[in-house]
Amino acid sequence: MSDKITNELQELLKANVVTEETAKKIRQYFNEKQEGSQNRLSSVFGILGAILVGLGIILVFAHNWDNLSRLTKILLSFLPLIIGQLFCGYSLLKKSESPAWRESSGVILFFAVGSSIALIAQVYNISGDLNSFLMIWMLLCLPLVYLLKSSIVSLLYLTGITYYGCNANYFTYPTAHSYYYWLLLLGIAPHYYELLKTKANSNFTLFHHWFIALSLIICLGTIAHKNGNSIALSYMSLFTIFYFIGQTPFFEVQKLKNNSFLIFGKLGILYLLLLYSFKWFWDKSIYDTTSVSETFFSLEFIIALLLTFLAALLFYKKNSQTNFKEISVLELVFLTNILFFIPGYEFSIIANGIVLAIGISEIKRGSKLNHLGILNFGLILISILVTCRFFDTNLSFVIRGILFITIGLGFFLTNYLMLKKRNRNEK
Amino acid sequence: MKNKKNILLLFALVAITQLFVPLQMIFNQENIINTGTEFKFQTAPIDPYDAFRGKYITLFFKEREIKVKNAKKYTSGETIFATIITTKNGFAKISSISRSKPENTDSYLKLKVGFAHNNDKIAIDLPFNRFYMNENIASKAEKIYRESSIKKKNETYALVAIKNGEAFIKDVRINEVSIKDLANKK
Repeated sequence: MSDKITNELQELLKANVVTEETAKKIRQYFNEKQEGSQNRLSSVFGILGAILVGLGIILVFAHNWDNLSRLTKILLSFLPLIIGQLFCGYSLLKKSESPAWRESSGVILFFAVGSSIALIAQVYNISGDLNSFLMIWMLLCLPLVYLLKSSIVSLLYLTGITYYGCNANYFTYPTAHSYYYWLLLLGIAPHYYELLKTKANSNFTLFHHWFIALSLIICLGTIAHKNGNSIALSYMSLFTIFYFIGQTPFFEVQKLKNNSFLIFGKLGILYLLLLYSFKWFWDKSIYDTTSVSETFFSLEFIIALLLTFLAALLFYKKNSQTNFKEISVLELVFLTNILFFIPGYEFSIIANGIVLAIGISEIKRGSKLNHLGILNFGLILISILVTCRFFDTNLSFVIRGILFITIGLGFFLTNYLMLKKRNRNEK
Repeated sequence: MKNKKNILLLFALVAITQLFVPLQMIFNQENIINTGTEFKFQTAPIDPYDAFRGKYITLFFKEREIKVKNAKKYTSGETIFATIITTKNGFAKISSISRSKPENTDSYLKLKVGFAHNNDKIAIDLPFNRFYMNENIASKAEKIYRESSIKKKNETYALVAIKNGEAFIKDVRINEVSIKDLANKK
C-alpha cells in the first residue's frame, strides 16, 4: 500500500470521516490488490525469463563444439530436455497453484524439446525435413498445454503449427499439400474453449483471439490447390464469419482492441472488395472451366460452399432477432459469392459500388454516433477506392486532381463540422 | 489428490515420449554407422550460415540426375528408392531407381524426385547435404575447398554410410584427407 493512501487514511480517521473499521477494510483491500498485481508481474517476468533462457540454450548449443566426442555431444543434447522436464515436474508437484511456475517451466521445456531434436540432427549431420521436425516438435509439446495448463505454450504451439502450415504448403517446392495443420489446430481447441469459459477477460484469452484469427487467415490459403483463384470465395466467407463472431454478445462487450475477429473480419471483407474492384482480378476465371464436375468436386469449392453456408447461418441467427431491420451492407457482402457465376468485368463495377456504399454508411454512422474515428474510417475507405481506380481507369489528370481535392476537402469539412458540433454541445 | 497423481503420471508419459524421439534418432543413426555400407560421393561444398543449427558446409554432389526411360512417369515430390553402387573409379553412382524398396540390397537411398527434364532425365536431391563443422573452422574449410577446386587434380568427396534408405555422412575429404584436419592445420 502506498504511503500516500496511508497518510490520507490517517487524516480521514482523525477527521472522523471514516470509522476505524472502514479504514481497516480499506487497508486490507489495497493490500490484496497489490498482491494480485505483484503476482501478475512476477509471472510476466518469469515467462520472459524462461523465453530468453530457452532461446539462449538453443544459441549456445547451436555453436558446434567440434572437439567433443560424439557421446559427450549426445549427452549435452539431452541436457536442456532433462532440465526442462525437471522444472515442469517440480512445478506440477510443488507449485501447481502458481501460474508463473507453470507457464515459465512449460516455455523452457517447449524450447528444450525443439533444441534437443535439432542438436541430435546436427550431431549426425541429418539435414532432415523442416516439416516433419516442426510437426514432431509441436506434437511432443501439445500435452504440456493441458498438463501444465500453460497458455504461453499454447500460443507458441499455435505459432509453430502456423509456420508448419506455411512451410508445407507455401514455402516448399514441390508443395506437400499437407492438411495436418487443421488436425493440429483442433488440438488446441479444448484449451481455447476452456479459456473462453473460465477466463473470458484475461490477457491470455485476448492473445488467443488474435493468434487463432491470424493463424486461420494465414492457413486457409493452404487448401488452394489447382483452382487457386477460387480461394477468394472461402476467404470472403471466413471474414464474414469472423465479422459475425465479433458481433456476438461475448465480443460486443469487449474493447475493440480485444475483438480481433471483428477487426480482421471487417478489414478482410473490405480488402477483398477492393481486390474485386480491379478489372485485372477478373482476367483469370474464378472457376477452373476445363471440367465442370472437377470444379464442383474440388476441395476449394466444397470448403467455400461450407463456409458460405455457415456465414449465411450466422447472418440469419443475428438478424432474425431484429426482424432483419438492422442489416448493414458489410453483412451482405458474402452474398457476392453467388455472383461469381457471372463472369466478366461487370462484377468489378458492383464491387466499386459496394465499397462506396460502405464508405458512405460509415461516414453517416460516425456523424450519428459523434465518433471521429468511424467518420474518418469511412473517408479513408473512399480515398483508397479512388486511389485504386487511378490504376486501372483512364481518367484525365484534371479529373483525378479534382477528385483528390474533393476528398481532401471532405476530410477537412467533416472533421471541422464534427468538432464544432462537439464544442457546441459542451457549451 | 488423485487428479494430481494422474496428471503426474501423464506428464511422466509425455516426458518419456519426448526423450524417446531423439533416442530413436540416435539408435537409427548408430545402426547406419556401424552396419551400413560406405560410399564416396563426389562433391562441391560451399558454406552458408544457418543461425539455428550453427555452421555447416552445404554439399553439392556430382550425382544429381538419373537417366530414366520415361521421365514423364515421375511427378515432382514423389518418393523413390535409388540403389547405390561403387563404380570402377571408386566413387558412388546411382545404378537404378524404383518406386518400391529394392529387395536384393540394403544399399539404397530414399529420395524425392525434383523435376523431370529432357524426357529421359530426372533431377534428385541426395538426402545428406549438410556437413556440420565448428563455426571457427567452417569458413577456413570453405577457403580450402575453393583453393583446391581450382586445381583439377583434387578429388573432393563425402564419405557416406548407407543402410535401408537412410544415410550418415562420416566425413568430407579432399585427396583422402579430412577437411576438418585441413582446416585445423591452417
